[in-house]
Amino acid sequence: MRLTALLSRAVTMPVILAWLLFLPPDEAGAQPALQPLLQEHQAELARPSRSTIGPVIAALLASDHPGITDFLRKWEAREVYLRPEDGLFFYAEKTGSRLRLIDIDSGAAVAEPGSREIEQIRPNAGVRREVAAALVPFELNAADPARRAAALDAIARSAEASQIAPLRESIGTETDPALKIRKERLLTLLTAQFAPTRSERLDAIAGLAGDISIEARGVLNQLTATRDGVAAALPAGANIARVLEPGTDLTEAQAHDRLVAAGLAPPRQTAADLRDVLAQHIVEGAVGGVPLHRLNTTAERIRAYEALERAGTVPPRAAPDEMARAVAAHVFYTEYLQPDPRITQAAEDALAATTRTLGLYQVADLVLDGLSLASIFFLAAIGLAITFGVMGVINMAHGEFIMMGAYTGYVVQLFIPDYTISLLIALPLAFVVTFGAGVAMERLVIRHLYTRPLETLLATFGISIALQQLAKNVFGTQARPLTAPDWLSGALTLNDIVGISTIRVAIFVLALIFLALLLFILRRTRLGLEVRAVTQNPGMAASMGINPDRINMLTFGLGSGIAGIAGVAIGLYAQVTSEMGANYIVQSFMTVVVGGVGNVWGTLAGASLIGFLQKGIEWFNPSNTLAAQTYMILFIILFIQFRPKGIVALKGRAAGD
Amino acid sequence: MGNPDITPRQSFLARTPSVLWFLGLLGLFTLGVTVLAEGFGMALLSTSMVKILGMTLCLCLIAVAMDVVWGYCGILSLGHFAFFGLGGYAIGMWLMYARTEGIVIESLANAPIPPTQEEITNAIATQIFGVVGSNELPALWTFADSLAMQLLFVVLVPGLLALVFGWLAFRSRVTGVYLSILTQAMTLALSLYLFQNDTGLRGNNGLSGLQNIPGLLHLPQSTIALWFFWASAAALGAGYLFFAWLVSGKFGSVIRGIRDNEARVRFLGYHVESYKLVVFTLTAVISGLAGALYYPQAGIINPAEIAPIASIYLAVWVAIGGRGRLYGAVIGAALVSLASSWFTGGGAPDVNLGFYTINWTDWWLVLLGLGFVAVTLFFPRGIGGLFDLLVRKP
Amino acid sequence: MSTLLEVSGVCVTFDGFRAINNLSIQIAEPELRAVIGPNGAGKTTFMDIVTGKTRPDEGRVTWGEKNISLLGMSESAIAREGIGRKFQKPTVFEEQTVRENLAMALRNKRGPLDVLLYRGTRQEAARITELAREIGLADHLPRRAGDLSHGQKQWLEIGMLLAQDPRLLLVDEPAAGMTPAEREHTTDILRRAAETRAVVVIEHDMEFVRRLGCKVTVLHEGAVLAEGSLDHVTQNRQVIDVYLGR
Repeated sequence: MRLTALLSRAVTMPVILAWLLFLPPDEAGAQPALQPLLQEHQAELARPSRSTIGPVIAALLASDHPGITDFLRKWEAREVYLRPEDGLFFYAEKTGSRLRLIDIDSGAAVAEPGSREIEQIRPNAGVRREVAAALVPFELNAADPARRAAALDAIARSAEASQIAPLRESIGTETDPALKIRKERLLTLLTAQFAPTRSERLDAIAGLAGDISIEARGVLNQLTATRDGVAAALPAGANIARVLEPGTDLTEAQAHDRLVAAGLAPPRQTAADLRDVLAQHIVEGAVGGVPLHRLNTTAERIRAYEALERAGTVPPRAAPDEMARAVAAHVFYTEYLQPDPRITQAAEDALAATTRTLGLYQVADLVLDGLSLASIFFLAAIGLAITFGVMGVINMAHGEFIMMGAYTGYVVQLFIPDYTISLLIALPLAFVVTFGAGVAMERLVIRHLYTRPLETLLATFGISIALQQLAKNVFGTQARPLTAPDWLSGALTLNDIVGISTIRVAIFVLALIFLALLLFILRRTRLGLEVRAVTQNPGMAASMGINPDRINMLTFGLGSGIAGIAGVAIGLYAQVTSEMGANYIVQSFMTVVVGGVGNVWGTLAGASLIGFLQKGIEWFNPSNTLAAQTYMILFIILFIQFRPKGIVALKGRAAGD
Repeated sequence: MGNPDITPRQSFLARTPSVLWFLGLLGLFTLGVTVLAEGFGMALLSTSMVKILGMTLCLCLIAVAMDVVWGYCGILSLGHFAFFGLGGYAIGMWLMYARTEGIVIESLANAPIPPTQEEITNAIATQIFGVVGSNELPALWTFADSLAMQLLFVVLVPGLLALVFGWLAFRSRVTGVYLSILTQAMTLALSLYLFQNDTGLRGNNGLSGLQNIPGLLHLPQSTIALWFFWASAAALGAGYLFFAWLVSGKFGSVIRGIRDNEARVRFLGYHVESYKLVVFTLTAVISGLAGALYYPQAGIINPAEIAPIASIYLAVWVAIGGRGRLYGAVIGAALVSLASSWFTGGGAPDVNLGFYTINWTDWWLVLLGLGFVAVTLFFPRGIGGLFDLLVRKP
Repeated sequence: MSTLLEVSGVCVTFDGFRAINNLSIQIAEPELRAVIGPNGAGKTTFMDIVTGKTRPDEGRVTWGEKNISLLGMSESAIAREGIGRKFQKPTVFEEQTVRENLAMALRNKRGPLDVLLYRGTRQEAARITELAREIGLADHLPRRAGDLSHGQKQWLEIGMLLAQDPRLLLVDEPAAGMTPAEREHTTDILRRAAETRAVVVIEHDMEFVRRLGCKVTVLHEGAVLAEGSLDHVTQNRQVIDVYLGR
């Protein structure tokens, strides 16, 4: 490699001379050719490296040659080729598998080369970034809006003082309104950081107050960045953010560590240091006259060390209060990196305003999260609320009906590759499958246990473990995908903070639909009337010609069917496994119990309480969802102490005992 | 229920001959296993088999406790396995601490300077908690070096938890299915709590190496297994005797009354909540003891053991064995847990149907689940109910 | 005759429905009292209030010589004060023997520890035998209560009440579903019990009430409509309108 570089340099000099000598006069008069300019930097352009390219680009751009930005752009895009035989640069066009060289100045095609005769110039990523940054001011006025936007991105990535002027100039001519707004914001950011006068910067910083974009917060954070400092006295002229009080703001040991790190105090002797020093001075089974076997307490070890100290074999130990004295003799502070106190103050104020706005948006985001979790709980629990609340039957296999629904969705997707159509088929099919399963279970098992509710719990648990294992045997233990169609896989985002995935919106809508549907069925239809009649007085209902058997069967089927649909919905954003239902069953029960049994509104209230509570607790301790769940369950246990019948409780004789 | 013709002044053993039968059979079984065991007798039973049998006896003990709280007092607790686990954790802490202490002292014995107590403690902490990224001994482990204190905790921790939880739940008259769900929530909360790494009990790693009993390391596992088997048998015998006495007299009469008609017992002037609390707490304590004997034989305890499903299985054993009779609980627990390890351990031969081969490791749970439905539907009195048919037939 | 129980100005509302409306009743000791009234008149709710099952919205319920308020006491504490209750449906512990049922009800310490360490005495065994004779179940002591006939269960329940040795017995429809002979026996038991204590009987059957031969309180819409001898109340115009006339 190095040899080739030398060779090419050796070749270059005569070539430049040749160019200068044989320059066609007419072209030179109208517009100076680019090739000679390039040849001045031939070596750096042919073998670009990040460390050397900066001045070259600067020099090229300083020439103000009209073709230079075009060249640099092509060069960066690896569209420039070098002909080693004479060191000239060419543009190239690919036609089929062949390359066609184009003269840089005339644009005329040059003879087709063999692949050995030319080499492509490949600037590495670092070099390309340099070029892109250098081209930014030119790109800002490019005709193509996409290129202007790309230039703005480049500025946002690596901001510099030199970009202020071209950016400001380009705003006036900007025609795209969105880009114009973006340019103006970017200008504010740059001004806040790099403007030459303080008043300009202060204005810009004030303009950033309340701006929650990551860019704006980044700038403000950078302006208010601090470093820790320690000194005998507060340094004059430093922009001190805060003076730290040892004992309150930081422990004495931490303060001392800082002194040690700053070289202002000798390191403390740790227990391990002490032991190691003693170990180096063992003489005939003793250290400093203390026998080894007695060195198993700190007091004896110190005694041994002091003996060594008196003998002069080790340096003196720090006196007990030396650390305290050293700490007391110094001030500890944090200092702004930004020297101007008015700038930092303005930035702090702006940041505080931003934090307030941020808090509001975070609350909004939390509400969205809570809402979506509440709708999931609602969907998972509402079927249970019907069977448990209306019929007094506890169905431990409810979670397995959710799972069954999800697997139905998975199987449908195996046969129908279009996700939208398969979803439209899976939803009703899941209802039908689980409705059937529910009716079968009611007819075969639950019907015989209406007088023994606790045994229903156990029998349905038996069904639950059998179904779970069955699913494992059929579908295997690994998670199966249930893929959402594209129109459901995006997200609705308001800004950097507030956003919600479309799938969760869909689940929320689904929950609303079910709420409305159930209210309609229970209040406005014959079936609902009969269900309520059987709930309140089965004997009387039977004597009026309502068949309680049929009603129980339908109610149970309805509850199970809804579980199936909930399963499809849950499967879309969580994984489909044989255990997915078990993960929801306890929460579902708690939703029903907390909400109050036998009431759709109660379930809604329970789901909302549990959903929002869980998100709320997670907010306080975001790293630990396990803890959030633990505390939520504890809360529910306590809640039931005070409202044993749930939020929406039936009162009086109708509530029974 | 005994023979009703006898006056109430007779001793409870005379009124309930089944207790003597049970104790006799348990003694014979213990003797038989001892004679056949690897550690003592003819070596026909492997050490792991002796351990499984010892563990089964512990499960029988907690099943008896479950039967008292559910079968007799009518509280379907889905949380008693939590107490079992807590007992295991309490003893496991001492086992793990003392064993690690031994290892640490041994490894530091060759250091040029003997270690201080602090250095030993730090080394133990690093050994035990390195796996969850900590090197400090949590406050929870303050008494882990004391066998006496940890044994006290075996009783105290499940007892106190049951007392507080029971007081809250019974006071607000949460009954029936609601109470079951509440106990299930308690279990879930506890297991989720233990799953966290920073709660001082090693998160989902749990406590391990519990089969190595400090101070007895020179003995072979076959001997230790037999000792624990004897201890488990003794505990089951004593627990059975205690609960049989508890339920045989007027106390048993009252709690069965609570099971059948809580309001009526209340109007007779009994403070129902206190009775439930006594039963709930006592059974929780016995469950904790059973757990403390079980986990040194199992060798490891982790939060998954406390998951709600374990407590439901406990209810399943009791239901299959037959509620409201203590020997029913023992039969159910022994039968189902042994069958479970036989089927899932690959002991059962595959069934070839021609078009499909039933592999029992996959199909056992299906069989158990459906079998359980069948028992609930057709034999609500469980296997123990079959004894009635034998006894009551003229 | 001193006042044992005084209910005054009690109101209870269930979801807007006034079950008890300014009810005031006094029961003396000893006394036999019948409470009659149409369905929904508040008879059972009245018992619920006295025994602590239902808490009234307003009013007072005082008890005994010291005029203790029963409001706010738990059911079991009220029972220990000496108020026994028999439910409309016979509720005995069907899984247990007649002897066990009676033993459980026998006046004794009720704490869990006392009960756990309880050992029956000869006197108590004798008392149980005596009670069984009184309610006509002397030969049935070892039988399972669930195997008794309907009437026998009612008697057993009354026997359990007597075993509690209460000062006030609240008896809800004791004669429901009994044969005439059984009714006769029931009347005897109640009349005998009322010689030493207060007995309040809720009953629908006028013949049965007539045989009791005691003061009658008529409830209607949660309040006292009339009070006095049976002949007196049956001639009351309002009573005939709301109850007897139908």
